[in-house]
Amino acid sequence: MLLYIFSSDMGFGKDIRADKNFPRTVRIIVLFIFTFFLIDMIIGTILTEGLDRYYGLGSNAPLALVGHSQTMLGIDKVILEKELGLKVAKYTREGVNVADRQMMIKQLLSDNKELTYVIYGVDSWLFTGEGLSKNSYALFYPFMDDPVIRAYIKKHASLSEFLTHRLVKTTRFNEQLISGSFRGYLGNWSNLKYGHVNIQRLKESIKNNTFRKINTNSANINIFINTLDVLKVSGVKVILVYIPTIDLLNEAAGPEFDRSIQFFQSMEIKFDNVIFLNYLEPYAHNHNLFYDPIHLNPEGQLEITYQLIKDLKKHFNADY
Amino acid sequence: MLFNSWQYIFFFFIIFLTYFSLPYRYRSILLLVGSYIFYMAWKWEFAFLMLAITFVNYWSGYKIARTNNKLHKKLWLAFALMFSLGTLVYFKYANFFIDNFITLLQQLGINNNISYLHVILPVGISFYTFQALSYSLDIYRNKTEVENSPVNFAVYVAFFPQLVAGPIERSTHLLKQFKEKHHFNSENLIEGSKMFIWGLFKKVVIADRLGIYVDNVYASPNGHSGATLALATFFFAIQIYCDFSGYSDMAIGSARILGFRIMQNFNLPYLASSISNFWKRWHISLSTWFADYLYIPLGGNRVSIYRWIFNIFFVFIVSGFWHGANWTFIIWGALHAFYYLVEYIGDQSLKQASLQSLKNTSFYRLFKIASVFLFVCYAWIFFRAESTHDAFHISEMILTDLNSSVYLGASTVSFVLSIALILFLFIVQILQYNGIASIYFSKPRVPAALQFTYYVFLLTGISLLGISSNAFIYFQF
Repeated sequence: MLLYIFSSDMGFGKDIRADKNFPRTVRIIVLFIFTFFLIDMIIGTILTEGLDRYYGLGSNAPLALVGHSQTMLGIDKVILEKELGLKVAKYTREGVNVADRQMMIKQLLSDNKELTYVIYGVDSWLFTGEGLSKNSYALFYPFMDDPVIRAYIKKHASLSEFLTHRLVKTTRFNEQLISGSFRGYLGNWSNLKYGHVNIQRLKESIKNNTFRKINTNSANINIFINTLDVLKVSGVKVILVYIPTIDLLNEAAGPEFDRSIQFFQSMEIKFDNVIFLNYLEPYAHNHNLFYDPIHLNPEGQLEITYQLIKDLKKHFNADY
Repeated sequence: MLFNSWQYIFFFFIIFLTYFSLPYRYRSILLLVGSYIFYMAWKWEFAFLMLAITFVNYWSGYKIARTNNKLHKKLWLAFALMFSLGTLVYFKYANFFIDNFITLLQQLGINNNISYLHVILPVGISFYTFQALSYSLDIYRNKTEVENSPVNFAVYVAFFPQLVAGPIERSTHLLKQFKEKHHFNSENLIEGSKMFIWGLFKKVVIADRLGIYVDNVYASPNGHSGATLALATFFFAIQIYCDFSGYSDMAIGSARILGFRIMQNFNLPYLASSISNFWKRWHISLSTWFADYLYIPLGGNRVSIYRWIFNIFFVFIVSGFWHGANWTFIIWGALHAFYYLVEYIGDQSLKQASLQSLKNTSFYRLFKIASVFLFVCYAWIFFRAESTHDAFHISEMILTDLNSSVYLGASTVSFVLSIALILFLFIVQILQYNGIASIYFSKPRVPAALQFTYYVFLLTGISLLGISSNAFIYFQF
């Protein structure tokens, strides 16, 4: 059809032949598109490489940390590496739910062939929510050159979204990812939030019943169990770590909170490759360690990291 | 259908190919069908409203032109005005009047059962109503000739590039272009695309990014410090400029590719050195519309000083009210009228004190640009705030709590990037002001290779830093 339009003796075809600048314009447009895609490919490749470094993807690290902001602010990867003497991949992203984490673990299994241990950050709110959110797949855009990720995105995204991100690499990033990529190159893995939790505000929120409730969704539990199955089949040991949440919030959450802890404990029995490390005691009572009710400040991060190192060394010694 | 969507790019590509392939006599029909499809992609029912306003103005214009009886001319014009403005008032302002009436009754202690109307504001109604009306008014004033082709008139009202957020075109300028034989021209393609890319960059990279911060702060002004509110107001000034001028640029660029020339709507407004100059640079199509069809018929400045002051206030308040049915917009308009008059008095004082030479100094010029920008920013508080209560609170906080700590938003990276983008915008604007960079199809004074690199950079910026948003601010007007 396009050929007919451009070669026609009327309208377009005639106008094109009459336009002396047309061949030059076509050359400029072709060069423009070529330059754009070339720059896009270069920037996209550089950013992806930085992001891989930041998350430790493809690093063949035997130990990987997986979780959301709680794990991100709760554990210092650099100290962990130094003290344990092994490479650690810290693949933590803000707001990732159980379904996102399953995909992240699949990605780690595919990229890090020497993966032996996964430290999976858990909390009592892990199974709250709808499971896979509508646009969870968007988290994985930067890695869509990987066939597994590409297939996952293709399954969930609209055709125009998929094609846009497939063709134009730079559309796969946002400013957080760009920042992460730069940090990957700079070797900056510090995740710190300074300050102390506002206890007064928390008490008010509990009093007004506006705090986030635990609302367990069975679909999420199934995804979680399925993730543990996948890791078991792959021969990977799983360390479920409960990064502490503040005691006032835990108490307000009621019996659901205790039930969730019992559930994580039961996973140790159900799976022989799973260990549960519960750091609620004694840290949940020490309010000085919290930035907000669910995130640790640098002081808290240090405490938990060293406690984790101590526990991991114990388990590693038992393993070898 | 948003300009910043693949849907629009695909739609425009089809229109572009078909437009230049069709014989001339069918092209207006194509644009009309395309424009209605474009509009109906939002809510198809409201296309009938646009059709009705088109029909009434076309018919009234025809009747005004055909009769020599002055009374009949007036009656037909009144019919067009009443129908068009009546429709606008019903959809846009009815609930505002009801709300104020209920408040008044409550103040008087009168119980009432008055309920609000369940109406949705049709997108672009203020724009296409004014555009259609300009035809009836121009016919009445013998400024234009009657349009014989109803198709051309209908496409003039509904022309998709500028249908939902302007620029508000005039029959004297745009209508005749539908009779012209447009040839495909590669220069139009390049220049239109450049304009579109720059508009898209302003919208998705700058405006939508700043909008996240502004929305966050303005949603709960009580929870933020004076310094944060001042920063949010500054960001809003940039956001609304990039959002609206970005839309205008994309509209002008799209039309240019098809061979149409749409009027310039923005001309570096934040580099204006006076309030009157600001209004010659900001939303030019609306300012000139009000000047031609309201201010001058009221007598303009060729009246007594008191009447002139009334004219200024009236036009600015109506202009504010045009933007939305809320007291905040009325106060915004009144503030600008106040600025205008204060500036006039200041200029007169300078003249009397024989300090005219001061006006030519660079320092004075810079001082004026900065002052105008600050005053315009202050007025934006009323434009953006959800209510007059919020606006006065923000205004008070900014004036009394400026030394407080500033909230930088959810992400520091995002904040730093926002500042960098604002700086980039200002650099480009200064280059445009000095004629180095292109503005509204002017020839830039930079080598072609540099221009080429600049547009590759912009497109890369769009794909890397663009944020997808669902609307343009001016769609709600």
